[in-house]
This record gives sequence, structure tokens and C-alpha cells, in this order.
Amino acid sequence: MSIALFVARRLGRGLVTILFAVTVTFLLLRLLPGDPALAVASPNTTDEAREALLVQYGLDRPLIVQYVLYLGQLLQGDLGTSFTQSVPVVDVLLERLPWTLLLTVTSLVLTVVIGIPLGVLAAAHEHRFLDRFVQVVGVTGQSLFVPSIGIVLLLVFGLALGWFPIGGATGDNVYGAAWYGSVVAHLVLPAVSLTLIQLGSYVLTMRGTLIDALAADHVTLARANGLPYRRILWKHALRNALLPATTLIGLQLGFVVGGAVLTETVFAYPGIGRGIYEAVTQLDFPVLQGAFLLLAVTVVVVNMLTDIAYGFLDPRVKAS
Amino acid sequence: MRLRRAGAIVGAVAVVIALGACAPQAPPGASTDPEADGGTLRIATTTDVVNFNPLIGNSRSDSWVTGLMYPRLLSVGDDGSKQPELATGWGYVDETTGWYEIRDDMTWSDGRPLTADDVAWTMNAVKRDAPSGTFTGQLTNFESAEAVSGTRVEIALTQPDSSVVEEIGFWGTIVPRHVFEPEGSVADFANAGGDDGWVGAGPFVLTQVQVGQSYTLERHEDYPLVEGGRAEAARVVYRVYPDINTEILALRSGEVDLIANSLPPAQVDRLADTDGVEVAEVTGLGYSHMTYNMDQPDLARTEVRQALAHAVDYDAIREVVLQGQAVSTLSSPLMPVLTDYHDDSGTEYEHDPDLAGELMESAGYVRGADGRFPVSFRMIYPLQDPVTSQWAQLVQDGAAEAGITLDLQGTERNTYLAQTQQGDYDIYAGNFAIMDDPMTNFALSYLPGGAINYTHVDDPELSALIERAARTFDEEAKIALMQEAAALVQEEVYDNVMYTQNLYLAHSSEWTGFVSKPSELLSLVNPVSIASAHRVPEQS
Repeated sequence: MSIALFVARRLGRGLVTILFAVTVTFLLLRLLPGDPALAVASPNTTDEAREALLVQYGLDRPLIVQYVLYLGQLLQGDLGTSFTQSVPVVDVLLERLPWTLLLTVTSLVLTVVIGIPLGVLAAAHEHRFLDRFVQVVGVTGQSLFVPSIGIVLLLVFGLALGWFPIGGATGDNVYGAAWYGSVVAHLVLPAVSLTLIQLGSYVLTMRGTLIDALAADHVTLARANGLPYRRILWKHALRNALLPATTLIGLQLGFVVGGAVLTETVFAYPGIGRGIYEAVTQLDFPVLQGAFLLLAVTVVVVNMLTDIAYGFLDPRVKAS
Repeated sequence: MRLRRAGAIVGAVAVVIALGACAPQAPPGASTDPEADGGTLRIATTTDVVNFNPLIGNSRSDSWVTGLMYPRLLSVGDDGSKQPELATGWGYVDETTGWYEIRDDMTWSDGRPLTADDVAWTMNAVKRDAPSGTFTGQLTNFESAEAVSGTRVEIALTQPDSSVVEEIGFWGTIVPRHVFEPEGSVADFANAGGDDGWVGAGPFVLTQVQVGQSYTLERHEDYPLVEGGRAEAARVVYRVYPDINTEILALRSGEVDLIANSLPPAQVDRLADTDGVEVAEVTGLGYSHMTYNMDQPDLARTEVRQALAHAVDYDAIREVVLQGQAVSTLSSPLMPVLTDYHDDSGTEYEHDPDLAGELMESAGYVRGADGRFPVSFRMIYPLQDPVTSQWAQLVQDGAAEAGITLDLQGTERNTYLAQTQQGDYDIYAGNFAIMDDPMTNFALSYLPGGAINYTHVDDPELSALIERAARTFDEEAKIALMQEAAALVQEEVYDNVMYTQNLYLAHSSEWTGFVSKPSELLSLVNPVSIASAHRVPEQS
């Protein structure tokens, strides 16, 4: 199969996945109890005024009409207007997107940078104390729940020690170079929380695949040839073991996005996740549709890139 | 090698310069040194501001932040009576014409005077465009407003209404005509600041928004409602936190100076004993209640509603769940805080499970072998309200003691609102944050078709009393009619009003001078309070 055909197929699958995500999101939101007019109107609003709001939001039309109109808007690159804020959804998302990117990318980098060496360390010391210790840490990390970690970190490092701020992404009225210091200080606790919950998967996957790789024939041959163990580990075994870890980055992205929603909520971090939380309480359909579309596209694109990268890294995948 | 190193240094410097250029710069109008000129008051809230247009917004954060920019005609005292704010006088020319006299010394932050024209235009625009905020709901009997002079506004009513002048005055927020009119419908205008920023006439004006985390307001140098003619603090920053517990952490760590949300009962004593924190009591102006849906045939019977009312242990709710931080309303919708209206000779429904059982038997219900009557009722309540969630359990236990089965259905907010609106419940449990005007409250709660008539009551005698009170301009006669109506509500259990919760707010002991107003809407964060707050002078 040519590279062009391979990429085209992945693109096609990605588009179908996005259409599926758009449709499911659209339908699920309309299955939610309550209606957006009730969520935003004051208690003394009359039924007529509520109905007028529904008309204004376009929710008085049949579902299929709403769906077709929504798809038409999307094809023109229009995500609609927020019910509650009366501003374009694109503006709402663009204000929040940089913070979510900063948080998720930072935690992904931290996870890979810490997780892979820890996995190597465990595999190199298989069945010894260090291996068991790393496994316990990995399994514990997988079992953790963001809000629980968040509260502990806030209590210890925010309140008791006072090292980091309690919430937000920057301090008030901080400008120039000081702004970067403030951003980093506010990023530490949410990024650590998000890293801790992902770390286990990387450590355990890396450990398992590296142990398999270390048992492979070419590694045995390298040993028989008298190559130093460190060189065998890092040059011969690790290269093969890295392939599943590459896949894991793509697979984990959805998990990271889900984790980001909780993390941003716990730490009042002003990203898309916190925006979703607030839009759900207000039943702001356009913002929710836009946010989920953005997240779906991100996950699909990263998975697609991972697939394509995998295809380049391992010719057997492309051939199949 | 040297070349590569030099390239790396040049690259690093370029990155630093590029990053420096990307960092945000101070917005125009920001104080250069707020700490030297009154300081920055940092306030915690739990939700973002959704709307900067005060005519649309309904959330607490919307009201608190926009309330610092856009004045109301009237404020409210601890007894629910209306007090002057932008308006210095108000009343009726005749039964269908009201008037307000407004201050002549208020200016918008762009230097233009705030006149009666702004007031009249705002009222007419809200009537015309019907934005979703609370103001619109007050304009049912409002026809139009006219600025008859620079400081006097007269409003024409569609029918006699003895409450509407005060209600419009309190709930109506005044916006600058010269900013809002060019934007078309006030129901659609986002008021997002634009290129020229915000224009307000309150003690502070918004200058910077960091979505999801903070809202910065700078002092408006002309605010004659406080001593000195301007606010004490140079700047106010509202910061957003996910919940009250995180807000408390932020207060204790010194990240904020005041929590705008009232404290949960269990946190009050704990925080009062915390160094560096002070807890202030604020009068509640709302109530918690249960209503029995009379569309349900069993609940249409007075004895059944009375039985349910006598099955509740009200003292336990107030003492255990609310830790004594609540006042009995004596089962009347005319709460004790409304001193002119409250009848203190009344008595609360007695907690008497035996009497409740007898009332059920007198209504023809026969206990089964298990001692239970063959009826069950579904009670809805909002899960996000921990206090109601707790007392709902006590209500269920009390009913069980009387042989009546209650099925509790706690749901998230939107489901709860939908169930309420559709009448999809037997018993509704909830609370109203602010019931400042008894007349309006009675009309909305007990007239057929009233927006919050959750009992679905349609009693001609009660309706006649309420409608007569609405047309009565003599205060004493109106109070007498309202008390008669309240007695009927209690006797027939058209509403089971249980308590008014006292509110407690926490602030740093480094700040003082707050001016408390009733209800969580105003509390310590009303504009006069925030303008009066100042740092405690350092002891030399």
C-alpha cells in the first residue's frame, strides 16, 4: 500500500469519527433534562418569555431541522453563538484553549519524560525491589482520582506550605516578565495532578514491553556477543519497546482530555474543561457542541498522526 | 563550536524578547500603584460572569460584578423596606402613575451625567426587548416611563399596583443610554467592553477580564453615595474558585480578602475561630419551604397537607441541619424579618406525628398492617443544595413516623428546574434567596398562573385578598389584607414556610468597613459596602 493511500484512509476514518462525535453530542445534549431557557431565566420569568427564549435559540424547531442547520453552520466554519453570553462560540473557546493546551501538553511531556525512564528502570530490575516499588507507584497512580489528589495538593502545597496558589492560571494584574513566573507557579499543581493519574499507564506499559524486548532473540545475540548491558538496554531493546508507548500517547489523549476537565474544575484553571463544566450547568448547547467538537478533532488528529507515525516507524503496519 | 554557541545565545535572547512581547500589558485606566492608594480588595466567587449586560444576567457573579458598575434606584434595609440609592424619593402620583426623583450628582465613568433620561430609557428598553433577567419580570403592570425633568421619572401603569414602584426601583438596574441604545436590542447586547471599555456609574468600573479566573475593576473617582465621594479601595478583583471549600482555602492562604458566597452552616464556627479571618452575620431575606402539589388528588385535600405539615420536626431541622443559624417564620410566608408585615402572634405547625396520623384517618385513609397509610408522595429537591438535601431526609423520617411514605428524589439543578416547571412532583422542597416584597411574592406564589405558584393553588378567597392588597395604597390597610391572606395560606397549608436562614460571610481581618445589606445578593458585596471597605490601619 502506498503512503498516500495509507494516509488517505486514516483521514477518511478520522472524518467519519468526527461526524459521529458531532451527531452523538448534538443528540445527547438534547436528551438532557431541562431546557436552556429555564437554566438562564430568572424564576419570575413567564412561560411566554421562556418560549420566546427557546425561539431565539432555535430550539422550537424539529430536531432534524436543528441538526441539518447545525451541520450547515459547521460546514461554513460557524460554531454558532453562546446562548448565555451572546458572543460567538469560537471566541469563547479561543479564550480558554491556550490554557488547556498548556496544561495537557505540559502534563503529557512530564508523563513521558518521567514515565519512560521509570519503566526502563523497572524492567532493568525485573522482580527486584526497585521493580516492585515502581509497579506499586504505577498501579497507585492509575487508581487515583483527580479531585482527591487535587485537594491533598492544595491543602499541603497551597495552604500549609504556601508554595503555590490555590486557583487560577495567573495572578491578578501581573504583567511583563513577572507574568511568566505567575503562569508557571499556577501550572505546577494542576500539571502534577494530571501527570500523576497518567503516569501509571506509561510506566507499566514501558516496563512490560521492555521486558518482552529484552527476551527477544536479537537481544540474546547481542548479549552473547558481549555487548555492554546498558548499550543493549538503551539501543537494542528500548527502540523496539518504544513503539507501544508511542501508540499509548494517542490512546491516552482522550483520557488526558477527560482528566483535564476534572483538573481544571478542581484548580479553577480557566481552560476548556472548566468551560464545559460551566456550560453544562447553563445548558449552553452551542458552547458544549463547540467544545466537544474541538476535543473530538484533537483526539482524532493526534490518533491519526500516531497511526501515520506508527506506519512510518513500523512498515508492517502500513503493509497491513 | 564557538559559532554554534553564539547562535544558541542569540536564539535564547530572541526567545526571551519574543516571550516578553507576548506577555500581557496593563490595560488603559489601570491603577499604577493601587497598594499606595487604598489597596486591592480581592473577592472570591464560585462562578464566572456569564453576562456583563446587567439586564440579562441572573447569576450571583453577574449581579455582584455588574452591581459595582450599574446603579439601582433603590436598595433594601434589614427589614425589607426600600432605601434610597440612585433615587432620593419615590411614590405615586395617582393609582396608575408612579414617580422617582433621582440624584443630580451621579456621572458615568466617561464623564457624562447620569440623568432621568437614562432611567426612563432603560425601563422602556427592558419592557420592549424583554431580556431574560429579573427586571423584566417586574414590568408586568408597567406601560412606559418618561423623564419629565433631568431628575424626575414618571412611570405609567396598566393597572393600579401598590408595589410596583418599589419593586422596579429595587430590581431595575440603570444602564447608560448612550452606550446601550446604539447596540440595538438590550436582550442581545453582550456588553463585552469592546474597544472603549465599560462605562459605569457605580464605585468601580470593569477594566480587565481573564475568562475563567478573574475580573478586575478600577475605582470610579466619582461615587457620591459614600463618604469622601469615592471608594476607599483603588481596585477590586473578583477571582473564580470551583466551590466554597476552595474559596475558604484561598481566604486562609491570603489569596483573597472576602468570600462573596455565604458559608455552609458547618463552617461558620470553625472559621470564626480562625486567626486572620472574621465572620460577619447578614440578615436573610428569603425562606426555605415545601409546597404540596394540589393537582395530585390526595394533596388536594386539606387534611393531607395538614398531616404532612404536622409530621415535620422543624426544631430539629433548624438546630441540627442549620446548627441554629435559622429563624422560624411561624409557618407564615410573612417572615419575621419583614417587621411591618410579620404577625408574631402566629404559631408554627406543631410537630406531632400522632396528630398527623389522626388527620390522615379523618381524611378517610386507613393504616395497613405495617402501620402505613396506602399513599406515597414523591418529593423533589436540588442536590446541589446540601442543606435542603439534609433536611429532606429529616422530613422523610418524620412522615414515616406518622405512617406516610415519602420518596425522595434529589436531582441536579437543571432536572430540578424542569420538574418544577412541569409540575412533575408531589412535594416541592426548595428555597428562595430573596423575597423582599410580600405583595409581589404573594402574587407570584398564590395567584393562579403565578410564576412560582408551585402548589398550583387556585383559591378565590385568597386571590381576592391578594388582588385587593395590590390595589390598596394605604399601608396599614394593605398590611392587614396581607396578614389575612397569610393566615389563609397557613391554615390551608398552601405553602409550608419553615425558616429564614441567617447568612454568614467570611473576610480577612485586614479589611473592615463593610456595610451589610440583607440577602446573599447584596450582603457585604453590595456597591456601598465594597466602596466603604478599607484596610485596617497598621498599628504603630
